[in-house]
Amino acid sequence: MADLALRRTARMRPTGLAASVVLHLVVILGAIAMFFPFLWTIVTSLTPGAGLTLTPALIPSDPSLEAYWRLFAERPFGRIILNSLGLAVATTLAQLFTSATAAYAFSRLPFRGRGVVFAVYLATMMIPLQVLIVPLFVELKALGLVNTYLGALLPTLASAFGIFLLRQAVHQVPRELDEAATLDGAGHFRIFWQIILPNIRPALATLTVFAFMGSWNSFLWPLVILRAPELQTLPVALAGLQGQYTTQWDIVMAGSVVSVLPMLALYVFAQKYVIQGVANSGIK
Amino acid sequence: MTATLLPAEARAPEPPRASAGRRPGRRRVRYALTVLAFMLPSAIPLTAFVLVPMVSAAWVSLQEWNLLAPPTFVGFDNYAKLLNDPNTGAIFLHTLTYIVGYLPLVYIGGLALALALNTRLRGRSVLRGIYFLPVITSWIVVALVWRWLLNPSTGVVNTVLGWFGVAGPGWWTDPAWAMPSIIIASAWKDLGFVMVILLAGLQSIDPELLDAARVDGAGWWRRLFSVVLPLLSPSTFFVIVISLINGFQVFDQVYAMTGGGPGGATQVVVQQIYDLTFRYGAAGEASALSWLLFAVVLAVTVVQIVGQKRWVTYG
Amino acid sequence: MKRLTIAVGIVAVGAIALAGCSAASGEDDGSPVTITYTNFISNGGNEENLQKIVDAFEEENPDIRVEVTTLPYGDYFTALQTDLAAGTQSDVFDIEYANYAEFQANGVLAPITVSDPSVYRQSVLEAYQTDGTQYALPSSFSDVVLYYNKDLFDAAGLEYPSADWTWADEKAAAEALTDESAGVWGDHQPVSFYEYYKALAQNGGEFLNADRTAVAFNTPEGIEAAKWLVEKSGTVMPTIEQGQGTPDFDTNLFKEGKLAMLHTGIWVFGAVADVPFEWDIAVEPGNVRQASAVFSNAVGVSANSKNIEAAGKWAEFLTSSDTMIDVRLDSGWELPPISDEGKLAVYLEKGAPANRQAVFDSLDGIALPPVAQKGQSEMQDIMTEELVEAQAGRKTVEEALASAEERINAVIGG
Repeated sequence: MADLALRRTARMRPTGLAASVVLHLVVILGAIAMFFPFLWTIVTSLTPGAGLTLTPALIPSDPSLEAYWRLFAERPFGRIILNSLGLAVATTLAQLFTSATAAYAFSRLPFRGRGVVFAVYLATMMIPLQVLIVPLFVELKALGLVNTYLGALLPTLASAFGIFLLRQAVHQVPRELDEAATLDGAGHFRIFWQIILPNIRPALATLTVFAFMGSWNSFLWPLVILRAPELQTLPVALAGLQGQYTTQWDIVMAGSVVSVLPMLALYVFAQKYVIQGVANSGIK
Repeated sequence: MTATLLPAEARAPEPPRASAGRRPGRRRVRYALTVLAFMLPSAIPLTAFVLVPMVSAAWVSLQEWNLLAPPTFVGFDNYAKLLNDPNTGAIFLHTLTYIVGYLPLVYIGGLALALALNTRLRGRSVLRGIYFLPVITSWIVVALVWRWLLNPSTGVVNTVLGWFGVAGPGWWTDPAWAMPSIIIASAWKDLGFVMVILLAGLQSIDPELLDAARVDGAGWWRRLFSVVLPLLSPSTFFVIVISLINGFQVFDQVYAMTGGGPGGATQVVVQQIYDLTFRYGAAGEASALSWLLFAVVLAVTVVQIVGQKRWVTYG
Repeated sequence: MKRLTIAVGIVAVGAIALAGCSAASGEDDGSPVTITYTNFISNGGNEENLQKIVDAFEEENPDIRVEVTTLPYGDYFTALQTDLAAGTQSDVFDIEYANYAEFQANGVLAPITVSDPSVYRQSVLEAYQTDGTQYALPSSFSDVVLYYNKDLFDAAGLEYPSADWTWADEKAAAEALTDESAGVWGDHQPVSFYEYYKALAQNGGEFLNADRTAVAFNTPEGIEAAKWLVEKSGTVMPTIEQGQGTPDFDTNLFKEGKLAMLHTGIWVFGAVADVPFEWDIAVEPGNVRQASAVFSNAVGVSANSKNIEAAGKWAEFLTSSDTMIDVRLDSGWELPPISDEGKLAVYLEKGAPANRQAVFDSLDGIALPPVAQKGQSEMQDIMTEELVEAQAGRKTVEEALASAEERINAVIGG
């Protein structure tokens, strides 16, 4: 990593001290506004028996970890988190693979009808999931995959979002690199692995975050396909904290904090790659 | 369509044809196998688990079906009914209003943020994390916060406006201001998303180009418009295409912030699709509505893809 | 069988031919039958209580096993609808009164033979009969009562609400108790379909016509009932701008001691148990007659169940057994809809509110939600939307009801 840290990146520096001060001020004020809802979530989660008040308190009056304790005591949250984690990791790995390969083909392997195929790929994002749920469920029932991890996983293996994201990144890798490698006798698989992948690491890191997030937060499909209590995922379990008539907001907020933290950790980890990740292949 | 969709491929080297002269058969087969090897991992799941249900939904759109009793074939009645219903126009209009307000806000905001956080700002990695927080926070929480901030009588926003002698609007309680409320909350929540994509894009810009421009005496704005934005265009293109596709399917924020109210002023297409399917017992009509939505989104996307030639530059 | 054909049809359209993939494996070999039960009633804290009932049932019926799935209420019906479309619904599943009629009319529910109907409270049991046949069994009920803050009434020197109050009494008290400068409000009642059909019944009106294909509320009684709800807003009740209608707003206001009267369900007992003032409940005031809203959950047996008899047994046990009564009363879970009030005596002595008898007295004048031939949910949505339009002052009450009449008739019309 040391050599990467030395790399210069293109920066649009503000000119002058005044501009710099203003910039800092605006960015930090903005950050406070961004952080506020999360702070509220934490405070509410630490206030036992908290209702939703019109004016949220920013300091818990009688802080307690009771909500977290109850969250984990009343439901098998350990298992639930493992379920979500397993599905998210599998989805992310699968999407990294399927997106990178497709992106390579869409950028580097011309074939008849490629444009149409790409349009069809994009089109898969254009029908709302709400209307696909029933046919998809019927299909997976026919495959005997209701109430299985595999059933939850299959529809998320590939995503047009990821393919499009990576295609844009692959497009930006200079073709001179491929050509040089071709002259060295490299085939497509080697170019893909040795030239393209290292050069699109920021995009891969970005996709990692979004693929994980998509799976981690997905609600409708896991709700429908995973019914057995031991298969339940986090968002569905959190929805269960809201009752038919009443809601225990402190526990709901505790659940929300618990679900945000792994995502945040992943993002902080991944952003190192987003920021420093442009390959050290020395081409620029 | 092929040629117009992908201008980039025109410049792509075409190994199979170039060398087709010598050993056409085997080369061709090998190349075809290579293409398949790269395409099938995504093509199989997308076909089996998205395209197949899509086609099923098309079939359902020709039925009258409440999900309880067997469906009845009604031909294009569902489409005719939707096209004759003034409410259809209204929900599309609301959806469009959302996009028109949301997209510039989130893009310009996200770009400014990405540029700011790409400078040598003290503590910028912490700031990046904070700006990403809303992206991963659930809409339930975000909506609660924004309903509170935008509360017409006690909310922070109207209180601050009051200091400047401005009488704040009724926000989500007022049909005219409910959609702007949703737009503001959505743009706020998604800023971090756009920021992340654009930050990744900024990273692949060669710093030498900026230095060269600076040496040439180009000012900040000049460098932004003539160097950074053109080089960022592939990321921008991605953000806009994706935001439009997602924008047409706006649902969660509406559901959480206004539930479609007040007085149906923020009813959007996907909410209607959900209600028709699961609450109003009209799955056929819901499917027809989603195919209408599909047609609109596809048209908009194709226009963008065709139009990208004019402004998107790769590599 | 038809459902299977549809299922296969849907898949076939997608060109996935899955020959011989049907996973049906019948178990007719004398081993215990397993029935499945999907519920929302135990979600959010009563999962273990439900398990106690299951255990007792399995002990009594060693040849039947019950497999429970619990889903959150908010998404239960999305999942159930998907199941019904695919034919994967459980043998026994929860329903609500509001969707009973639609499910029954579409042949989703199997008739249930009840061995001892007298155990149930007749009015609630009959709600789930169609043409004299029982198609679902009520598992619990909650009703809506009038909560009041005794301290505020004492301070104002007013008499407490009682069962013989009418709207006029409530209005007079609400006006006397409202003190905007102190932020104290006299009354709170949601502006919604559920409150409206009840107010309409209290005023002697009908929501739907006799064959349930058109509305019947656009009458002087209907307008008066709508005004009763709508005109509270901004006079004795906070406006929408002031927060009315946001989740938990009314309960919080009451808990803060800033609300004198509150119309809400008995499910709030727990939430207001620890308030630092005296409070009690009363039967809701009527106008020309008394009418209380009852929310009841029920269980149905799937018409395509392979074990209808065992499923029916479980449904009856779940809704009428002594184990169930004990578990529910013990844990403060929703009340069982049984007829023997002696068995419910323990409930009356469970502490605040003192006048728990009002919970049962309310049942003497039940107003069941109107059920349309079709378009139930859409009807409810439209009604609430139009009433809120009137509440916000964007329409007059008369305009809102006329508009609601027109829109609802278009949806439910035969």
